[in-house]
Amino acid sequence: MPRPPTMLDISDLKVFYGPIEAVHGISLCVPEGQCVTLLGPNGAGKSSTISAICGTVKTSGSVKFLGQDLANTDVEDRVRAGISVSPEGRRVFSNLSVEANLLLGAGIRRDRDAIRADIERWFRTFPILGDRRRQMAGTLSGGEQQMLAIARALMSKPRILLLDEPSLGLAPRIVSQIFEMIEQLKQDGMTILLVEQNARQALRISDYAYLLNTGTIQAEGPASSFGQNDELMAKLTGLG
Amino acid sequence: MTLSPTQRRGLIGAALLSAVLIAIGVLATYFGSRYQIRIVYGAYVNLLVVIGLQIFMGNARITNLSHSAFMGIGAYVAAICVTPAATKAISLPAAPFGLNAFSLDPVTSAIIAIAITALITALVGLFIVRMTPIGATIASLAVLVIIHSIFLFRTDIFKGNQAFFGIPQVFSLTSIIVVAVIVVVLARGFRESRWGVQLRASADDETGAAAMGVNVARLRLIAWILSGIVLAIAGISYAYFLGTISARPFYFNHVFLTLAMLILGGMRTVTGAVLGTFVISFGLEVVRWLETGPVVVGIDLPEVLGLSGVVLGLVIVLTMAFRPQGIMGDREIEDIFSKTK
Repeated sequence: MPRPPTMLDISDLKVFYGPIEAVHGISLCVPEGQCVTLLGPNGAGKSSTISAICGTVKTSGSVKFLGQDLANTDVEDRVRAGISVSPEGRRVFSNLSVEANLLLGAGIRRDRDAIRADIERWFRTFPILGDRRRQMAGTLSGGEQQMLAIARALMSKPRILLLDEPSLGLAPRIVSQIFEMIEQLKQDGMTILLVEQNARQALRISDYAYLLNTGTIQAEGPASSFGQNDELMAKLTGLG
Repeated sequence: MTLSPTQRRGLIGAALLSAVLIAIGVLATYFGSRYQIRIVYGAYVNLLVVIGLQIFMGNARITNLSHSAFMGIGAYVAAICVTPAATKAISLPAAPFGLNAFSLDPVTSAIIAIAITALITALVGLFIVRMTPIGATIASLAVLVIIHSIFLFRTDIFKGNQAFFGIPQVFSLTSIIVVAVIVVVLARGFRESRWGVQLRASADDETGAAAMGVNVARLRLIAWILSGIVLAIAGISYAYFLGTISARPFYFNHVFLTLAMLILGGMRTVTGAVLGTFVISFGLEVVRWLETGPVVVGIDLPEVLGLSGVVLGLVIVLTMAFRPQGIMGDREIEDIFSKTK
């Protein structure tokens, strides 16, 4: 089977926080329609990589999206190009209503009626959010906030969805629900870059995986072979 | 233009608030003495200031301390434009740039005053919106002092602490009620607009909003300028009713008073701004009466000078300590009538 065309192509990416280098020249690619997972412990540089793709940190190296170098583009350009993120720690806008959070996700769009229709669509998909549309997002449960964060990321109609630790701090039953939701998105054709510590669940729905540690890529391969590498899995689940 | 359900609710809320404003105004007009009408007019001027303050502070959640100075700019520019040349020849004999040699009609003067205030707020805003919230607050305090110093010492233009007199008294209580209704609709419209929502989101989580493509500095600037325009309108309304202005009312005491109103009512909502203004405006009248040492049910109370300042300070301290979100919190007027789940 031929590999699908590459959507996101990162090479020799370094991320800097002032004088400190957090990611030391990593290369990875996300093919269209696939789900790629970035595994690794705390402080491995996973979130820094996500921020680099979004354009919110200082970087060197190249990030190419649909063949275009993103070097001189700002955050807004990247959202417009089709990159959308559900940030770590379910960062919803807690003092705004559920509905306003979704509206914000559509900040770059101007098609008012379609935005309204999309919001209603998400409320049908997640009735629990629909029931609480006027409630402050901060009053939702952890799982609900994560659903909202993902739905909000989808409001910009992205080509690629970056999910930063969607299972963080959630009860196992809720984690399974969130992964089902991600799997559904993938089946609908969404390209996903997933950052996770929960290796087993992430590998189950992924096509390809990278293991990141202390800012470098230490292993990569198809998700299925990752799962069969007992030594690696022991290490990963130990970390997760 | 299609409105979202939230925006439609906002419109209902603005209508409810307008009804309250009109009701208070009508009661005062028909039953109030001349003195009481002046008090109510003053409350409406402060209402415009507090709403102007809310537009920036409530949405960007950055404390602004320079607002009274921008109100002053609006008042002075309108006063200089509208006052008859003959009066200005006496009151401002040494005015530069021929400022004492012309006079315009009240509407044109008001438009010029709003435009100049907007321009100055825009220039100041370019710096303010790029600072951290605390930096912006401190800088705004400095702006207040700078503008006040100019009012105070360029006596050839502003007459400093002496009265700038001869402004045509073209406004009545009815005029300011109409203006207040327009401003309430404007403030509520901004709060529920895409810009307002994005700005409030950036106040919740600046990085998160930025990652969504929200241009935080630009939105803050928009709110800052809009706030400046409303403050200019407040200043103009003040000058057009009283007929005389001086530098003193546009300084610390007024900053403090209006800040207390917004904090007590709740800065996050327009309803909070309206509620806080009326509670403190009318509450202070009672306090001022107590200050004089009246006889209440046979008890001769002592004279307590300075009580109003103490009460105002206590309002801020106690609100901050026990209900930092203000009386209204996140609730607008329509939320009181229809319960949210």
